[in-house]
Amino acid sequence: MALAVGIDLGTTNTVIAAVRNGVAATIPGPQGRRLIPSIVSFLPSGARLVGPAGTERRLMDPANTIYSVKRLIGRAWESPEVQQARPKLPFELREGPKGGTVIAARGETFSLPEISAFILGHAKAVAEAHVGEPVGRAVITVPANFNDLQRAATKTAGRIAGLEVLRILNEPTAAALAYGPQDKAHERIAVYDLGGGTFDVTLLDLAGNVFEVLATAGDTALGGDDVDLIVAERMADDLLAKHRFDARAEPTAFGKLRILAEHVKRELSTQEEHVVSVDDIVPGLGGTRVAWQFRMTRSDLEWAALTLIERTFKVCGHALEAAGCEPAELDRIILVGGATRMPMVARKVEQFFGRAPVVRINPDEVVALGAAIQAALLDKTKQRAGMVEHPRIAEESVVEPLPATDEARPPSEPPPGLPVVSKKDPRPPSPRPPPVAQVVARAPFLSPRPTKPLVFEIPETRAVLPRTTQLGAAVARGGAPSQRPAPPPLPSGPPRRSPPSGPPPLLSFEAPPALAPSAPRPAPLLIDVTPLSLGVETVGGFCDRLIDANTPVPCDRTRTFTTASSGQTTVTVRVAQGESKRFEENTFLGEVELSGLTPAPRGETKIAVTFVIDPDGILDVKARDDSTGREQTARLQLVGAQTSPAEVEEMRARHAAHPIGESAGVLPARRPIAGEA
Amino acid sequence: MATTDALTLFLQSLPKRSYYEILRVPRTAKAREVKSAFHGFSLLYHPDRHVGASDEVVRLAAEIYKRGVEAYACLSRPPLRERYDRALEDGKLRLDASAVAEDLPAPPPPMRTLETIATTPRGKQHALKADRLIAIGKLDDARVQLVSACQCEPYNGELAERLQALYEALALEPL
Repeated sequence: MALAVGIDLGTTNTVIAAVRNGVAATIPGPQGRRLIPSIVSFLPSGARLVGPAGTERRLMDPANTIYSVKRLIGRAWESPEVQQARPKLPFELREGPKGGTVIAARGETFSLPEISAFILGHAKAVAEAHVGEPVGRAVITVPANFNDLQRAATKTAGRIAGLEVLRILNEPTAAALAYGPQDKAHERIAVYDLGGGTFDVTLLDLAGNVFEVLATAGDTALGGDDVDLIVAERMADDLLAKHRFDARAEPTAFGKLRILAEHVKRELSTQEEHVVSVDDIVPGLGGTRVAWQFRMTRSDLEWAALTLIERTFKVCGHALEAAGCEPAELDRIILVGGATRMPMVARKVEQFFGRAPVVRINPDEVVALGAAIQAALLDKTKQRAGMVEHPRIAEESVVEPLPATDEARPPSEPPPGLPVVSKKDPRPPSPRPPPVAQVVARAPFLSPRPTKPLVFEIPETRAVLPRTTQLGAAVARGGAPSQRPAPPPLPSGPPRRSPPSGPPPLLSFEAPPALAPSAPRPAPLLIDVTPLSLGVETVGGFCDRLIDANTPVPCDRTRTFTTASSGQTTVTVRVAQGESKRFEENTFLGEVELSGLTPAPRGETKIAVTFVIDPDGILDVKARDDSTGREQTARLQLVGAQTSPAEVEEMRARHAAHPIGESAGVLPARRPIAGEA
Repeated sequence: MATTDALTLFLQSLPKRSYYEILRVPRTAKAREVKSAFHGFSLLYHPDRHVGASDEVVRLAAEIYKRGVEAYACLSRPPLRERYDRALEDGKLRLDASAVAEDLPAPPPPMRTLETIATTPRGKQHALKADRLIAIGKLDDARVQLVSACQCEPYNGELAERLQALYEALALEPL
């Protein structure tokens, strides 16, 4: 039977996970990588390279290497997001059919969902190769603040990749599901999710096995990439001052700086200061290259990123206001997303909420793990609802609060293609799995506390394990890593399950050793909400709200519309999402056209239009003629989204036939088959 | 198909139930009780709790659940709940479609009548007629009058703006 998986389709990285034998685990690629870069590169032959193989081509062939599609997906061509991003991206964007956006590469054009589908298809193939069974269904996560069009486009991407999309799930909600309930009967938590390209904050009430989302808020253009950009700008300034070289004028040079900037940012999460020496950016006399050194301290970075981080707390404020609660009322703050590794984020979060945040599960993987749990819950072939246990999280994804010593977190690998000499790292760069996976895998071996249990599942009985919040607090208060905090005190209490002897199986799906029998924890139920208000346009350009933001989904609302003139046979209703009172300031979703009305004097025909938001957060419209009682055809003409089943089928065929490039063993499982469709 | 029958019966009974009766809480229930009642309701009727059941059961559960959401969205927001309580006194079981959030956009401030905006005697005459026509909903006739008023006062920006708004209103399919 086809496996149901959870996929975190990220701006910078994609992670795929599945629940097997009651354990949720992320699925590594052939080289042990758990993060698949969300990059698609098209070779001169037209074949595609996805993931790690595509990364290397970002510098070699920027015009045909597509990244950050998530920032554009579901956006109309005319939207400010697309128009602002266009000059900054090295690849070509064009206006597509129905006002949508398409990407041109190697003489072909691809819609944005098609590009995402390449990434999803790659993730699917990675999972199939590793697990050895077909992957047919998936829960795909999106930022909580995604609107209807963005969600619909993501769902389309899943379908194009040949997946049955069980659910479009909000990332912070997925993270909350992965963390699961604490031992308290009722608690209120916040999920602070700072990813590569988006920021979300979600507040939830956990009562027993019910996860109720109270409010969610976000900024779809705020993430770790923006920090990279700030650092790259600093570097460009430095180059200009030292070598009179304007990197901003050369896209390739600036592209290199961005990759270098990300490296510096990562390093500064563990070190106080970092120096990079590069000699292939600045052109010198006679075709030589000038060596350039750049030094940055952590406080430099923190000053530079301060305004960005402050912006997240404004968003947090909105969410708290919508939920009607105070920061102090929250029992747990969970950090999600790679950008929360910056020490200043944890510090600022603690300042804002007055409570140390928790990082128990790898912040890069937690969303995919939560999605995998939801996929297992929605997998009707496997189980009947209510009979499922809450899966545990595989031990390799469980981090103790990030170890802050230099040994515990090896310096990250220098980006490929750049001869970087790091002063702090005397070892030559060697091919290794990415730093993130390594931290997770290595921490247990390097830990000075060998007796610490590696299995960190949520306790079934109360007061057996210490509250993780306290552990989180210990490290977050540990301050600068250089001062090497004392190891958190070993949990006292009765001797507990000892860790499995020998190294833990890094890449295995096997359940941890049998645990003391306990009552199965009942399956969780997620009550998620719609992030944005839904409204229709009224006379004078106002937006008449039908469904409020933060209303649980699925939900619906019926409104009666009438004809304005006698004999009128069609009525058009314009629909938008957003919080503004002015219709124009909200995101225009499309028009509902009610046609084929029976001609009647004005005002006599009454059409009841029902707006339904489904559990995916996607809008559906139904209409009924109240005077005749018959179902009316309601056509929702979406902006730039080609979602008719026929079109999806066509793109799916094209996707399946598209050749996969040769890529040095990154994906050995599948080779293009001639004529495959 | 006992489940289907039970769900169908419950769904059919919903139009006769108040929001309190749908969630099974007393009129005096506190916010916390409403919340926990909604959690109980969700565990019974949320479509995700019926994964693997027949399509008909899933559809019925979803229909019921959406009514529960409507009830909860109203009862969990104090200003809406207050309004609903008043409506309930009048025998209305559902809050009308126009009732949304507490921070419902304030209705646009009552516009100044066109007559007060117009400054010349002739302009005022046309504007007054336009006011009256708008009041009875004859927008197109009002437009004719307002155009005349604007012709009397080409310098009157506010009048021109109102004409523009009227054009926009006419271009829209009235709701």
